[in-house]
Amino acid sequence: MKKKIGKEIISAENVVKKFGEFEALKGITAKIFEKEVVVVLGPSGSGKSTFIRTINRLEPHNSGKIVVDGVEINDDVKNLQKVRSNVGMVFQQFNLFPHLSVLRNITLAPQKVKGLSRVEANDVAMSLLERVGIPEQAEKFPSQLSGGQQQRVAIARALAMQPKIMLFDEPTSALDTEMIKEVLEVMTELAESGMTMICVTHEMGFARSVADRFLFFDEGLIVEEGTPEHFFKNPKEERTKLFLSQIL
Amino acid sequence: MMTMPKININEIKNWTINNFFGSKLNLLLTIFSTLFIVYIISSFISFLSSAEWEVVALNKRLLLLGRLPAEDTWRAWPILWLFSSILCSSIGAWGNPKKSELLFILLAFLMPAAIFFSMSYIVHISITIIIGVGSYFSSRIIKKISAIKVVMYLDTLKKILISLWILLIPLVFIVLLIGGGPKPNLWGGFLLNILLASVAVVAGFPLGILMAIGRSTKLPVIKTACTLYIETIRGAPLVAWLLLAWFVLPKFLPNFYGLSEISVVIRAMIVLSFFASAYIAEVIRGGLQSIPKGQLEAADALNLSYFNKMRIIILPQAIKVVIPAIVSTFIGIFKDTSLVFILALTDLLQVGRIIPEQDPKFFGKQIEALLVVASLFWIVSVALSNLSSKIEKNLGIGTR
Ligand SMILES: Nc1ncnc2c1ncn2[C@@H]1O[C@H](COP(=O)(O)OP(=O)(O)OP(=O)(O)O)[C@@H](O)[C@H]1O
Ligand SMILES: [Mg+2]
Repeated sequence: MKKKIGKEIISAENVVKKFGEFEALKGITAKIFEKEVVVVLGPSGSGKSTFIRTINRLEPHNSGKIVVDGVEINDDVKNLQKVRSNVGMVFQQFNLFPHLSVLRNITLAPQKVKGLSRVEANDVAMSLLERVGIPEQAEKFPSQLSGGQQQRVAIARALAMQPKIMLFDEPTSALDTEMIKEVLEVMTELAESGMTMICVTHEMGFARSVADRFLFFDEGLIVEEGTPEHFFKNPKEERTKLFLSQIL
Repeated sequence: MMTMPKININEIKNWTINNFFGSKLNLLLTIFSTLFIVYIISSFISFLSSAEWEVVALNKRLLLLGRLPAEDTWRAWPILWLFSSILCSSIGAWGNPKKSELLFILLAFLMPAAIFFSMSYIVHISITIIIGVGSYFSSRIIKKISAIKVVMYLDTLKKILISLWILLIPLVFIVLLIGGGPKPNLWGGFLLNILLASVAVVAGFPLGILMAIGRSTKLPVIKTACTLYIETIRGAPLVAWLLLAWFVLPKFLPNFYGLSEISVVIRAMIVLSFFASAYIAEVIRGGLQSIPKGQLEAADALNLSYFNKMRIIILPQAIKVVIPAIVSTFIGIFKDTSLVFILALTDLLQVGRIIPEQDPKFFGKQIEALLVVASLFWIVSVALSNLSSKIEKNLGIGTR
């Protein structure tokens, strides 16, 4: 089943991010379209995390322009809130709130940010826990869950805000092999449901079957981009070839 | 539940022999420390057998209430009743004390009661005990009912209790002042220590949180201001601040509504609150620094407001980490309240120091008086540190 890709939803133009003197992003230009699943690849330190973190301004960019769903990301707090309410994020280290129950982790933001009542938020949370396959864990605390379960809660937590875009920063890198599969299944289901996704991941099997497009980063630049077929059959750049030969 | 490991007599024997008599040095240490302990205990016993408690018995009111006039003594009772009902209900509502702990709590109450017991107050003391026991068991019953039927009684009770704890200080002030009460300068004894410490903690805690957050922000103006505040207050001894409040504060305050003649007690409360806040701020700042960056990022990514992020995500975790240090600070502040004697206030320690000098027949009875003073401070301090370890255990779930 091939889904339809919609209109442009994220556009980055010449985005530069510096840490002190060091340029982590040296001018990134990219467009992401609605319902598209984009996988970001690249060697360690190439700026993959930094790039997706500029999209919800966890890292403010120094120059260039980022527009998310028609809203430019800048110092304007109102804009930032609009963007963040459209963008969900899943971290490598899950970053669940350890002092709150699983259910509370998920209901917190819908209640406090969107103004849902406790009952409404609980309904949303339970149906999402159902979706990620762990409704029976609702009353537990994060530390009582396995890594894979924690990451699925984190995905549910982000989805509870009904974002248009989901960012994943190496969501399976902190997991043991048995648990990687259960998280990737959830992500695949999400991709098939038509969510716009940007994933930094080294899971090539997942990337190959789910991605519409690859972005290959090196030293703060997008060196090559294209469909998975293009990447696996005939990558152009030497650096891409080298990288792929190392991880495949 | 942990199962008790089987106790093996032989193991204990071996362990004892190895640790106490294993080497020449161990043997020597064992002998010396045994002699030392025997010496201390025997001299304490000989002191107790010859101790005369009249100096304490005759000055009960002074020790507990200081120079509070005799006709105002009644005010102490409603305060005690209020306190014991809130405290005992809270133990019932939150705590899950074992029998041995209940016994300990009871002893902590009975020990001072025994020291200060007198026939004329038998009714008052009985009322106190009835209120305490009654409150404890009514909370227990509510807790049981809430557990059986799924009702929110317990939540409601907890909310009421929290508001009562917050209201306790104003209520105490009302009881002390209502119907032409004595001047605050006359408040004294143990009541004064507890009152000063409570005000300092209740006012200093929120202020300390604000200062800690302020010092942790990136906004340079706020950061500098908070740092300056904290370091200035911590930079001078409490005695210096108290003296400053005594001599200097009146000169700076405008003379509206007799503000410049504000009672020394109130001034001491203000100073202690600021003093407490600076120390609490540093403790909490340590907690804030221990929170991983990912927590902030997750909260930001969820679009939580700064206020909610701090209130719901960061502060609860930060405070939880430093509960032992916070309680140590509280205990320190509580004991520091005895420094108010330099403002000519008669707190418990001051009373204990003065009473043996008032009557020739009490000369040389300092030890008795000070022992009672010390044991009162001790009871509160131990209770606080017990509370801290209880809270820690309760919050243990949900650790990372
Ligand atoms: N907060 C920071 N301060 C200074 N330098 C940083 C910071 N964050 C990232 N960098 C630097 O920016 C560069 C890009 O980092 P980034 O985390 O985006 O890499 P990445 O492609 O995600 O790598 P990895 O695969 O290891 O996660 C790296 O050289 C890193 O050292
Ligand atoms: Mg990264």
